[in-house]
Amino acid sequence: MSGRLLRRGMLNAAALLAGTVAARAHAQRSDVQPPERAGAGAPAWPAPGQPIRVVVPFAPGGTTDLVARLIAAGMQERLGGTPVLVENRPGAGATLGSQFVASSPADGTTLVMSNVASHAIGPALYANVRYDPVRDFTHIALVVSNPSVWVANPRSGLHSLADVVRRARSGRGLDIATSGAGSSNHLLVVRFTQLAGVELNHVPYRGAGPAMTDVIAGVVPLMSDSLPSASAHIRQGSVRAIAMSSAERHPGFPEVPTFREQGFDLVSGSWFGLSGPAGLPATAVERLARAVGATLAAPEVRARLIETGGTPGDMTPEAYAEFVRDEHARWAALVRASGATAE
Amino acid sequence: MESLIANLAHGFSVALSWQNLLFAFIGCMIGTAIGVLPGIGPVATISLLLPITFGQPATTAIIMLAGIYYGAQYGGSTTSILLNLPGEVSAVVTTLEGYKMARKGRAGAALCVAALGSFFAGSVATVLVAASGPLLTSVALSFGPADYFSLMLLGLIIAAVLAQGSVIKSIGMVVLGVALGLVGTDVQTGQQRFTFGIPELSDGLDFAALAMGMFGIAEIILNLDRPEARSALTVKVGSLYMTREEVKRSIPSVLRGTALGSVLGILPGGGAALASFGSYMMERRVSKNRHEFGTGAIEGVAGPESANNAASQTSFIPLLTLGIPSNAVMALMVGALIIQGIQPGPRMVEAQPDLFWGLIASMWIGNVMLLIINLPMIGMWVRLLQVPYRYLYPSILIFCSIGVYSINNNVFDVYLTVLFAIAGYLFAKLRMEPAPLLIGFVLGPMMEEHLRRAMLLSRGDPMVFVERPISGTLLAIAAIALGLMALPNLRKKKEEAMAG
Repeated sequence: MSGRLLRRGMLNAAALLAGTVAARAHAQRSDVQPPERAGAGAPAWPAPGQPIRVVVPFAPGGTTDLVARLIAAGMQERLGGTPVLVENRPGAGATLGSQFVASSPADGTTLVMSNVASHAIGPALYANVRYDPVRDFTHIALVVSNPSVWVANPRSGLHSLADVVRRARSGRGLDIATSGAGSSNHLLVVRFTQLAGVELNHVPYRGAGPAMTDVIAGVVPLMSDSLPSASAHIRQGSVRAIAMSSAERHPGFPEVPTFREQGFDLVSGSWFGLSGPAGLPATAVERLARAVGATLAAPEVRARLIETGGTPGDMTPEAYAEFVRDEHARWAALVRASGATAE
Repeated sequence: MESLIANLAHGFSVALSWQNLLFAFIGCMIGTAIGVLPGIGPVATISLLLPITFGQPATTAIIMLAGIYYGAQYGGSTTSILLNLPGEVSAVVTTLEGYKMARKGRAGAALCVAALGSFFAGSVATVLVAASGPLLTSVALSFGPADYFSLMLLGLIIAAVLAQGSVIKSIGMVVLGVALGLVGTDVQTGQQRFTFGIPELSDGLDFAALAMGMFGIAEIILNLDRPEARSALTVKVGSLYMTREEVKRSIPSVLRGTALGSVLGILPGGGAALASFGSYMMERRVSKNRHEFGTGAIEGVAGPESANNAASQTSFIPLLTLGIPSNAVMALMVGALIIQGIQPGPRMVEAQPDLFWGLIASMWIGNVMLLIINLPMIGMWVRLLQVPYRYLYPSILIFCSIGVYSINNNVFDVYLTVLFAIAGYLFAKLRMEPAPLLIGFVLGPMMEEHLRRAMLLSRGDPMVFVERPISGTLLAIAAIALGLMALPNLRKKKEEAMAG
């Protein structure tokens, strides 16, 4: 054990050294940068003793928060022991925390868990979002993506999307619960009703917990939820999964058919990743991306993410930036179609 | 029954390992400390400590986190009684009689009854969790949106009786509270209401900012009105523990509070807050010394403190049996368990007997520890009242600012606290009680949400509120309460009681 620790320490030292050299090279190049950016930059990255803050734009206890804490612990280990601290700055559909990071110094010490709410739906939903989710950030790595899953009360008689369509066309219509108006799960409902040409009676809740309670109790027969928050209840059999919004069947739930298999061409989900303010030094981006990649590749982290219904991310910084751009365009169109704006 | 005893014995064998005892103790200590510091709540603390639990065995981790949770409940009553500073919804009620008792020199007795009442309620609720957790879950699940609405309507109607003085003023305060509660994003449509384009308002006003401003800080401003010699320094410390008379008066209140809290705690969503409000209102109606309410009646501390502790224990039932968290702290517990690879839910009792029974046993052990930690400290807390204002108040203001800031890591909430402190000062000058406002603030938005959800599900048919048995019964009780209030001779009696 001590041998392994020693080797890891040496690797870290070597990485630190490489980082220092690269950062010096960067410091020379950064002469041309605006003075406020250059002033914030430290000669080495990460600067010794300076902690890295990862802002989670949600309240503590949610999926994003938990995974962020898991990843932060792994990154700290792989960044030579530089403290990686998680800070919750919830509010306004995750846009407050993202705004805070967008206007922080671009020195790699203030990062954000960018996500489908703050970087794709929120800017379209909220009139007063002052940042551009693509231009005002340096996107570093996709951490995890989660499909949505439609779950039904076991006594509801709903077994497939065909049942959903049939029930929706019947006299009384069909209720569907979601974690909130304007969430990715709600927009999936909007998209489904467009494709299927039916109406569903949307019943929004304040978060997934109370919605799931009412589905289990039979108050609402159906719910569109994110897989991580529904997975435990599916495994226990307290709800029945009828459709998954991933492109392929999920490895953790191979028995649940996709929307596509049931004749609805829908692939959607929530995701989150690591981003910093625009103009992060290339060395910082590279080291951070490597730390995240190595953490996600660790078998125990991987197993935990897949167990809860997530898919660990595997994207270069460029690919993740491209991904955010595409998602932003796609969700903005859906938000307009749903008629939901929070002005 | 035998299997219950065997299971509990197994639980104690797990909880009494030196490691679990140590972490239960650490959890209780941390919980007490953050409960005493205004504004720093269990949610922020538990989330900060989550990474530490990744490396611990699951049982140890959850025992420590649970210790923080009920430790904070104990600690929170201390600042409510001594400084009129409620850090949480459930502690607001404790300020009403507790702080008045402290002013009369009975701070020691108030702290003592809070600790003993909580201990008793915690012990009863623990047995209840062990014996009938799964059974009680089905009770919780039978509550639909219409039933919640009627329960809260009943609460709001009784809230109008809560205040001293004018009924018109207290109704006005309830309505103002409801209006403040509606600030933020509408759950049904996603529209923002009363936010004036300020992003910080889109999630609504923060409860801690509102409560601390209106109660604690407004109280500080009020005290600055008068010369110091007449307030803090003259507070007699009095005898530290309860007199025989006080013990006798508290016992029935503790019993009633425990029963009410145990029932309401099971309901997902705000059980502990409803429990302490409900118990206060009940004591005010049924206690033999109801004429003393408003001037520091020990029943008004004994009942609500027992109720909120019972509720905080029974709120584990939906978590342990369904995997459904009933509040933010429970959501963090679920998170902690999932990180450990354990799915909370009906199968947890069989799949993780060590965890399930160990946690239940440690709840009781935690209550014993809290008693041991808290009783000897009462003398120390009471002496805090003798600290001169010029030292005490700046420190309170600093702790409040840190606490409020730490909720969202946003300075906006500190400004809000200042605003509400000024409002609270004006209300006090106008003789308007802030407690009904807080009840309206908490219950109003929940009521609206459940009303609209019930109507959405019934396709706009209001008969659903009468047809459902639970909702129908609650509405009938509410109607009777309203009728009694309207009867002139009864109202006169009530005013006499208030004046007394």
